[in-house]
Amino acid sequence: MDTTLTSPTQTARPVTPIGALARRTATLFVVHGILIVGAAFILLPFVWMLITSIKSPAEIFAVDFSLWPKHFNAVENYGFALQKVPLLRFAANGVIVCTGILLIQLLVAVPCAYALAKLRFPGRSALFALVLMGLCIPIQVPALPLYMGLAQVGLLNTYFAIMMPFFLSVFAIFLFRQFFKSYPDEIIHAARLDGMSEFEIVWLIVVPSAWPAIAAFSVFSIVAHWNDLYWPLIVISDTHLATPPLGMMFFADAETGSNYGALTAAATVLTAPLVIAFLIARRRFIEGITMTGIK
Amino acid sequence: MKGLSMLLSSFVLASTLATSSAEAQQVTLDVLYAFPAFAKFHEPIAQEFMKLHPDIKIAFRAPAPTYDDGHQTMMRQAVTNQLPDVYYSGFHLLSELTRTLAKRNQIIDLDPLLAADGKVFRAKNYSDRIVALGRVDGKLYGLPFNASSPIMYYNVELVKKAGGDPEKMPDNWDAVMALAAKIKAGSSDVAGLAYNVHDWPDVWLYHAMITQAGGTVVDGDRVPLGGPDIGVQTLQRFRRFVSEDGMPLIDWDQSRQQFIAGKIGIFFDTPARLRQVTDLIGDKFTLRTSIFPIDNKAKGGLPTGGNAAIITTQDPKKQKAAWEFLKFVTGPEAQKIVVETTGYLPTNLRATGPEFLGPFYDKNPNFRTVSLQIDRSVPWQGYPGGNSVRTWRAQREIITGIMRGEIEAKAGYDRLLKETADLMKSQ
Amino acid sequence: MMTSAVAIAVSAPVARRDRQRLIEKLAGCSFAFPAFLLLLLTNLVPLGVLIYLSFTNYELGALDTRFLGLDNFRKALTDPVLRRSLANTFVYVAIVLPGAVGLGLLIAVLLHRRKRMRTFYEVVYFLPVTSTLIAMATVWQFILHPNLGPVNGMLRAMGFCEIAFLSEPAYVLPTLAAIGIWQLVGFNMVLFLAGLSAIPRDLYEAAEIDGCRSGIDRFLTITWPLLGPTTMFVIITTSITAFKVFDTVAVMTRGGPMGSSEVLLYAIYLEGYQYFHMGYAAALTLIFLAFVLLFSILQTLVLERRVHY
Repeated sequence: MDTTLTSPTQTARPVTPIGALARRTATLFVVHGILIVGAAFILLPFVWMLITSIKSPAEIFAVDFSLWPKHFNAVENYGFALQKVPLLRFAANGVIVCTGILLIQLLVAVPCAYALAKLRFPGRSALFALVLMGLCIPIQVPALPLYMGLAQVGLLNTYFAIMMPFFLSVFAIFLFRQFFKSYPDEIIHAARLDGMSEFEIVWLIVVPSAWPAIAAFSVFSIVAHWNDLYWPLIVISDTHLATPPLGMMFFADAETGSNYGALTAAATVLTAPLVIAFLIARRRFIEGITMTGIK
Repeated sequence: MKGLSMLLSSFVLASTLATSSAEAQQVTLDVLYAFPAFAKFHEPIAQEFMKLHPDIKIAFRAPAPTYDDGHQTMMRQAVTNQLPDVYYSGFHLLSELTRTLAKRNQIIDLDPLLAADGKVFRAKNYSDRIVALGRVDGKLYGLPFNASSPIMYYNVELVKKAGGDPEKMPDNWDAVMALAAKIKAGSSDVAGLAYNVHDWPDVWLYHAMITQAGGTVVDGDRVPLGGPDIGVQTLQRFRRFVSEDGMPLIDWDQSRQQFIAGKIGIFFDTPARLRQVTDLIGDKFTLRTSIFPIDNKAKGGLPTGGNAAIITTQDPKKQKAAWEFLKFVTGPEAQKIVVETTGYLPTNLRATGPEFLGPFYDKNPNFRTVSLQIDRSVPWQGYPGGNSVRTWRAQREIITGIMRGEIEAKAGYDRLLKETADLMKSQ
Repeated sequence: MMTSAVAIAVSAPVARRDRQRLIEKLAGCSFAFPAFLLLLLTNLVPLGVLIYLSFTNYELGALDTRFLGLDNFRKALTDPVLRRSLANTFVYVAIVLPGAVGLGLLIAVLLHRRKRMRTFYEVVYFLPVTSTLIAMATVWQFILHPNLGPVNGMLRAMGFCEIAFLSEPAYVLPTLAAIGIWQLVGFNMVLFLAGLSAIPRDLYEAAEIDGCRSGIDRFLTITWPLLGPTTMFVIITTSITAFKVFDTVAVMTRGGPMGSSEVLLYAIYLEGYQYFHMGYAAALTLIFLAFVLLFSILQTLVLERRVHY
């Protein structure tokens, strides 16, 4: 369409208004085309999940697949899901656990990432290598030793036990390090000359510029730990401490068969808070734009 | 007056004594089971029990997702000394679990407790075959709570269309396969039957085909897998399911969904799914069940799946309470609740009687089928050497290859024998 | 007199620099300390336990264990199951890495300047990140069902034959990889959006003045170089996540059919938690960690050189 310019000083071809409009419309077409096809691929499973949650059992696996149920079973499915299992209690536990984890993660990761990005201290490269290594370690590895350790100090079956292995987020350290590294050094030097301590520099100057990254990470952390099943299952034996996925397990039965309607209803109920969290956090992405361009 | 006050004071005295002794004797049992969805019968059964025994409280731990997860939880908690008082162990893991716990003195033998209740009690409630399921190394470690043997589900309309009689389904394999072939021929996108041994999580369906023909799977230290005749014939049958009866080689859940949609004529599955499958079929077609076809009417048996309750607590008071609990959950009232919500085989002889499940079975004849097979129950044996899970995975790959037509049955049988022997030796 | 004054004048900034260096060192160490402590407790100590276990034949619940030396590692080198799971994992990563990173970048770039519909698209693409596998597994099974599912329905309508996506050995890994990409696109999109929003607007305006008009030009001269740090992060984390694939295999295919979807972590899980050979599983885990760590360090070294900060 448009020829690429070979040098920035070469004057551009004069663009007619019609040409510009046509180009813009065509671009819009292509862009939205791609986005919509992608969105359809992404949404397909969710559409089926939602529809199953309002269908009666007999309609779920039918060859003449119809999107709209003949017998509306929404009340039964959602009612069953909410009553048979203390779903809301599990959701509350999810909120407690995720908030606790996120707070500590940020408090630990931000200073460490800043140190890795901007400060020279002994052992810096070694620490960064350890951070990378931490990313590679799946949760199954420390699970058993941590379980035994917590058993020794009698802290099993507590909120602390659920949260503890996640207080350190190497993902956060790595992510923030990348963002902090692009932060201009001159501003930090100026702040130091102004007499600010490193501590103040981190939290008052650098952090606000990394809001997009922090907001992004917060959403990831909340989603990941909300949906975490493996570790909570190991450390919890009282159902009143259980987190959301444990609630869903009550409807997903490999032995006598799942209650698909209730399962998808529970999944919908428990996914909703995550979407809301995302909507709240994404404002930060937009606000982040206005914070950059500091010159 | 004096008499009245004496009566009153003795009443007060007696009631304070009673409450204090009741408080002193209030026992709490920690119970762990697998499959959270089983709450649908565990919870009501526990409620009934606590009504009858106000001095015993049943506290359920967060259920394990599957038998395997429950097994791991038990192993972990054996090490950190936090075992529950009662656990429902899957039969196929019972020997591994009980042997480990026995070495650590963390399990008790139930034989003395059962004997103390008398022979009459035992004869009235528990069949020998059922009790045998909980025996390991000669000791009775578990009392069977849930039991199941495979049954045949079928689509009445498809059977009729193929010329079969839904009231008199064939009871031997050749006839069943012939009927399935006719069902397949009748429609373009309908499969005749499905026997999902290639995707079963354990050896159940594989062993069932061998034992129903009277074959021996495990013989002491050797694993003949049915011997050259029955062993090879079993594998040939698996292949013929695919080549002649149109069985789709897909995931067992997907296969079940296809049957539910009315696209498979005959479906072999666990009776535990009966309640779910019935609900999901609705009125798409008429569902019936029939007994598993048995070729060897004299010696044929069916491996029994399910779980048994074990007692780990070493506190004598808790042991007594736990035994009362075990007797109740394997009693007719509790088993009635189990069967009505799932489709399992009741482990109590009295449960099928008119006072308990009789009327339910009359209204829902499909549920009765599995109880007709109770006399064919044989224990589900793990492979000697303790490598059962891995051995099945290796065997399953070969069986899948046979069913896909990539391996010939006789060669496949030889490979199965060899790999099984290798894995047993490597332990 | 003069020389000493000059000497003092010169030494003052040097002293200040030294003091600054000291402050930096102290701040660095104290900032990193809590993270290091947690790293020790939650990663290094368990790793030490793992290393110890890999030299034994420990089984969970056993009372006695034997020291085996390097036997477990020797066994691993000749284990065909391990080799197969390594190959499967590599295939999976090879599909997921470009797919998830490329698509994430594409969507983020397309969405970055939109105003209308942007919230809608962002939420839609982020949804898979919030999904729980327990519920989604059934959904995928149905959607990909050879007989009942809509995907095969479409294939049939277009004249093709049905494909059993999850049951054909040749198709199972690409199918799982497609599901993996589905799970990760929204995640990477969010990261790229965060990176894009950190690029100052005035740079684009300056470029526009300099004659840089087309979208692709803008992307290549400004966006792509400045996205360097984010891109490096996304590539490394996506490949590590792909290497660690476990949940979808455990829930949907359980390693089948015939072991064609048995990936490294699943094979290790089977050894440790189904066959209870924890010592051997520990050795396999160390091999796994070595692989992934080596791969990530290589990536870091290669990419860090190309990235402008």
